[in-house]
Amino acid sequence: MAVAALSSAEIPAAASRRAASRARAVRRFKLTLLLPLIALFVFLLVPVLTLQLYFSFHQWTVYLGSWWDADYVGLDLFQSVLTDPRFGWAVLRSLAFATGSTVGCFVVGFALAYLMAKPFRGHAVYYTLFILPMLTVPVVVSYTAEMMLYRNGPVNGIISALTGLDFQVSWLADPNIALTTVALLEIWNWTPFSFIIMLAGLAAVPKEPIEAAEILGASKWRIFWEVQVPLLRPVILLALVLRFLEAMAEFPKTWALFQGGPGSATETLPVYIFMTTWQYFEISKGAAMSYIVMLLMIAIVLVAIHLLRREKRSLDLMYAPHAADG
Amino acid sequence: MAMTKTQRRRIATVVRYGVLSLWALVAFFPIYWMVSTSFKPDNQWFSWPPVYFPSPPTLANYRNVWLGTEQYDVTQYAISSQKPLISMWNSTVIATTSTFLSVLFGSILAYGVSRYRILSEARMFQLLMLRMIPPIVVVAPLSLYYSALGLLDSRTGLILIYFLTTLPYAVWMTKSFIDEVPREIEQAAEILGASRWRTVFEIVLPLIRSGLVATFLFILILTWSEYLLALIITKTQVTTLPIELSKYQGTTEGRVYGRQAALAVGITVPLMIVGLIIRKHLARGFSFGMVRR
Repeated sequence: MAVAALSSAEIPAAASRRAASRARAVRRFKLTLLLPLIALFVFLLVPVLTLQLYFSFHQWTVYLGSWWDADYVGLDLFQSVLTDPRFGWAVLRSLAFATGSTVGCFVVGFALAYLMAKPFRGHAVYYTLFILPMLTVPVVVSYTAEMMLYRNGPVNGIISALTGLDFQVSWLADPNIALTTVALLEIWNWTPFSFIIMLAGLAAVPKEPIEAAEILGASKWRIFWEVQVPLLRPVILLALVLRFLEAMAEFPKTWALFQGGPGSATETLPVYIFMTTWQYFEISKGAAMSYIVMLLMIAIVLVAIHLLRREKRSLDLMYAPHAADG
Repeated sequence: MAMTKTQRRRIATVVRYGVLSLWALVAFFPIYWMVSTSFKPDNQWFSWPPVYFPSPPTLANYRNVWLGTEQYDVTQYAISSQKPLISMWNSTVIATTSTFLSVLFGSILAYGVSRYRILSEARMFQLLMLRMIPPIVVVAPLSLYYSALGLLDSRTGLILIYFLTTLPYAVWMTKSFIDEVPREIEQAAEILGASRWRTVFEIVLPLIRSGLVATFLFILILTWSEYLLALIITKTQVTTLPIELSKYQGTTEGRVYGRQAALAVGITVPLMIVGLIIRKHLARGFSFGMVRR
């Protein structure tokens, strides 16, 4: 910068030419950096989304000849999806599953993080044990669950031994419980995620306001609700939003364990789309359903992104002076 | 009578260890059960009362699954030998290649965002949509598109789609490392006459080496355990480990828990090693710049 300023004072014409060619080079460089992303979009994402749109407006199943000759049916498919009670139930189930497991993960994860915010003997051991569930593959979780949750299995056995009751829950066969079983597995699997984020968040909370509140004689309870929670708001939001979105998309555990059953007890949105497309081979109905779900998710994601950006901007403002210090 | 301060502190300590130990038990028991089942002979897989410690422990499950050597005469679990090993190789190739591409191009993009703002902040968040929209909504057209291109049931097909879906994480995570590199170093390199590409590859990326390794391992966790896309896109030629596990059932009887457990342990152990290596960086991978230190 300093060099450029000096030379522009001496020979203005050459410098402006040089500046222009520099700007061109920078523009070319920026474009090159972006190329791989653009290529992925053009060659992978756009064709796939276009095909999806095509199928939502053309009636085609695998039994009906070539897909490019399929009949145009307008909005019929969307209508049939929106009037399908099974679809409505799948939406409700997914929302209930995602809400329940998100809250579960968050409450447990936050509680653990709060208890571990300060160093103590054995901290590293607990940390390691707590993140292990996240490092087991989801499919493995469901097969392991099958090995433990049978009626006379170890889980019922241990709970019976601890409580002294004869605890005999049919985790896998009872349609009233099946979705809860998957939600509990989801909580087991992903509590580490909330735990890690909340622990990092607690560590990043500035110490001064808490110390000030302590000196003023505030109780731990009040400090928690009135100082720590407001300071943690961005992190809390992040933990809830990301977990909710991932839970809406949960497929491997639900599918590997239940395939939508018993009855239709675990038929969440991903499972129902999967069955429509790959078991009934109603590609077009599946596509229309996918589009509706995609729009629903995009709406949720846009709200989430709006909230996250607002929080991030206030964080950027808060931390900007520190960054300038080095 | 009011408690003294030390008494109260002691109670708090007991409560803390109690709660943490209880959850540690909940977190660890299923993993223990998987490992112990993998060492159990077949009459203890599904028994009442449950067998908590395999007695006597046996390696038969591992030998059967991973080497295809030991067959049971009685039950005739006819499972083609060596398949899990082939799947392990497929998983390794697919996961490492797609993760490598993702980190390589992700870090280049992240450099552009950090230094030249090639993507605005809004675009960066929109990029996250690639990750936030459930993959189930695109798998059907994706598989038709792939079959037209001849990418169905191929490693390349899976690698490409994993590359695309993990790219947002790679960009966000490497950007958080690049943001920490002082710009003065690059300005110095520019004055000394280094080209822009040399600055990226010979100065900036080497400086965030450990961050790149952390990002690589973080994304490896995602690609290694992916299920849905692998289930749809691979059929017979290319099977990854999670799919192999879900196909793994006996011919005469559904439940071959010991075998499944031996396979599950083989899938999980590499992932746990990777996760424990980068345990300090996990928060950064998940937090998209929302957690500051």
